[in-house]
Amino acid sequence: MAPPRALSDFVAEATEILETLGRDVLALDESRTAQREPDPDLLNGIFRAAHSLKGLASMFGLELLSRLAHRVEDVLDALRLGKVGLDDALVDTLIDALDSLNALLAETANETSTPEAATRSEQLAERLRVLGEGAAAPSADVLDQIGLDPSIRAVFTEYEEHRLRENVKKGVRLYKVRAVFSLNDFDQRLGALNATLKPLGEVISTLPSSQPGDETSIAFDLIFGSSTLEPKIVDAIAGAASLESLGKPSPPPSAPSPRVPVDMGTPVPLPLRPLPSAPPIAPRGVIEQSLRSLSQTVRVDISRLDGLMNIVGELLLIRSNLQRLSETTKVPGVTVMPKAWSQELQRESRALERKLDELQQGVLDARMVPLVQVFDKLARLMRRLVRESGKQVDFEVAGGDVELDKLIVEELSDPLMHLLRNALDHGIELPDAREAQGKPRKAKIRLTARAQGNQVVIEVGDDGNGMDEARIRQVAIERGLVTGSQTDEMERRDLLNLVFLPGFSTRTDVSELSGRGVGLDVVKTNLARLSGLIDIDSRRRRGTTFVLTLPLTLAIIRALMVEASGRTYAVPLNSVLEIVSVRSDELQTIERREVIEVREHTLPFIRLSRVFGLPEKPLDRHFVIIVGLAQQRFGLAVDSLLGQHDIVTKPLSARLRHIPGISGATELGDRRAVLVLDVSALMEDVLRPQSAVI
Amino acid sequence: MSRFQEQLDRFFYDADEAVGPFLELAPEVDPLQTSAPQETPEDFLAFVLEGETYAVPITHVREILKVPALTEVPRAPLNILGVMNVRGDMLPVYDLKKRLQLVEQVPVVGSAADVPRSARVVLVHDAQGPAGIFVDRIEGVVKLVLSRLEVAPNLGLERNCIAGLGRKGDALFILIDVGLALA
Repeated sequence: MAPPRALSDFVAEATEILETLGRDVLALDESRTAQREPDPDLLNGIFRAAHSLKGLASMFGLELLSRLAHRVEDVLDALRLGKVGLDDALVDTLIDALDSLNALLAETANETSTPEAATRSEQLAERLRVLGEGAAAPSADVLDQIGLDPSIRAVFTEYEEHRLRENVKKGVRLYKVRAVFSLNDFDQRLGALNATLKPLGEVISTLPSSQPGDETSIAFDLIFGSSTLEPKIVDAIAGAASLESLGKPSPPPSAPSPRVPVDMGTPVPLPLRPLPSAPPIAPRGVIEQSLRSLSQTVRVDISRLDGLMNIVGELLLIRSNLQRLSETTKVPGVTVMPKAWSQELQRESRALERKLDELQQGVLDARMVPLVQVFDKLARLMRRLVRESGKQVDFEVAGGDVELDKLIVEELSDPLMHLLRNALDHGIELPDAREAQGKPRKAKIRLTARAQGNQVVIEVGDDGNGMDEARIRQVAIERGLVTGSQTDEMERRDLLNLVFLPGFSTRTDVSELSGRGVGLDVVKTNLARLSGLIDIDSRRRRGTTFVLTLPLTLAIIRALMVEASGRTYAVPLNSVLEIVSVRSDELQTIERREVIEVREHTLPFIRLSRVFGLPEKPLDRHFVIIVGLAQQRFGLAVDSLLGQHDIVTKPLSARLRHIPGISGATELGDRRAVLVLDVSALMEDVLRPQSAVI
Repeated sequence: MSRFQEQLDRFFYDADEAVGPFLELAPEVDPLQTSAPQETPEDFLAFVLEGETYAVPITHVREILKVPALTEVPRAPLNILGVMNVRGDMLPVYDLKKRLQLVEQVPVVGSAADVPRSARVVLVHDAQGPAGIFVDRIEGVVKLVLSRLEVAPNLGLERNCIAGLGRKGDALFILIDVGLALA
């Protein structure tokens, strides 16, 4: 077998190919629904991608992968040669095949294999084979009617012939563009000519000319189909090449066509004889592909970036130690070194700080990937789910270019998928029901992202029925999650938030789409692990929108260091709304629970030491960190504030993972571990109705 | 004396005296019999908890640390003393005394200042990853033959993390199953 390193490279490469493939197939489908003719370049791109995937897979001896990829390639080849038409069944099968390829790839990466994935891929391969054979034999060949010299046709590839046929069918004019270039720079100039011609029509084939130039130059004949007027083309190529009309545009194939007089201009000295020593195809190969890769990107394993990030984190620690040292030299009376030295030290230490900030930013930037990676996968999934659901949905995606830390993007796909399924399954109504309500039959589901400061806001919205708080209340009581009297005091917003409790699911029939026993609580937990927050905005009959707020990166976060009972804790700043200071006599109680008033809002007052069961000191003044989101807020009381730090959060060992309220640990200058608080989990824990912690 | 036995044997070894090939040819010799008594003793790390000597297989031990600064973890299981920072990894440190019912109360350990100078943290690893075990004193490495281990007598105590008892002369070693002890 291939060594693991090469295999992981293969997996990375193949994943990329599959991503592109998925995107392109969707684009293909889009152009089909828009009744446009598929862009030949797009089709070609898809075909080539499938081809290289097949090649890679067989190189690594992955038989299932390569067989399925082969079938995909065959069908795409038939498609680009016009042998089969693009229809729903084909697009669906292609998308299924891509999913299956993805699954096989995942198995390869984990070095596992399941019989299900294997049978599925075999079935798909068979289906693709059948689809590919549906190729109809080309009807009366229009090419015969334009009287192109058979010797030219003989050197056309099947694909070129197909494109020529398509052009003839469209009734565009065919031209032969003759260009003579010096041998020194013919490749650039040919490229430039191609670029000039491209917007005007289609370059069907590039042939080395039958009338070779002198020894220092080379001539090409470009067979070019265009509906642009001849003078315009002549203008465009402006002396770089000469233009000949290749016969009249053929009439529509059905019309009686008395052998179209082929006006080849002056009798071109065809037949063209392929040179025995140099087959005509060869030079094109040289021209079209340079060995230099087009992309400027480097693929890096995320764990290497993690490693870099850790080093940056350690450098930050050293920096703060250095800073402290240089600060002490400033203290009057301390004369450890001459003043000039001390100033020099401070200057250098500031310079180091600036450069370190740049380094940190650079590493963080390198971890950023656009959300489009996960959005594309979701779009593909939604397309399938919508078809299965029997509902009519317009799925809108926006903001795919917003960038987030790779780790966060990876972790987002499951929660987002769940929310989208929810929207489709529970949110929107069947077309008839929508019509009865005076809404358009076609529902809308939106997935949008936007950057907001150093956070990213992702919204999953639908224009469906909205959430029914009465039903939510009833279910929550039935499931024993809350008591009736508790819900009486709740506002609509609090009632809506009940759906995030574990064990809540309003649909009695578990559907294939959003069932699977995972609820919104899992979505919320997953987000909390990413230091993200989730909020609901739901209006009856107007729809529901879930709003996810996420930090740009998890690798380095800014945290507020606080002290409670002599212990130091780090509170991520993104969850801190504001900090106030209250005197003990300003505290009030409601049902014996402490509350504070902040600008006419009454918030629960939670003592961190009490939550954590630490000995409390009587204080006459508390620092209160207001944390939370929207109306769900609370004040977390600590003994003192120790300032802000950039911290690298490290996960606690697996043995300590399920301790609520703590998301990890970090180290400060003295190497002691400092726990990082998970504010949303703390809030959840403390504010849960039946919670007896406080 | 036994330390030099091997070197002496090697010094006086004469290739002609080696009888291996002949033994194989001898009809009465059962090859299984000749290899069975050759069981090599395994290495265990012995340490002291409240005056009793315990031991864990040395293959589970990664290193022995001086007691580092520990950060207590609120709401963690009682047998976790806290988290230590070992070259950037945040690892839990366990106290086995409560689990083995040697003491009633888990001690509070904040840093090396709170414990006797001989105390150490043994860094072990099992299926769940690395973790530290707080011990009063390190005794040393002891060789024990696995097949001669005793099953611990039933003393009416919880001992489901005790794998067995080993003896070496007068000394008694209580063997701990690391995976169970830290569960």
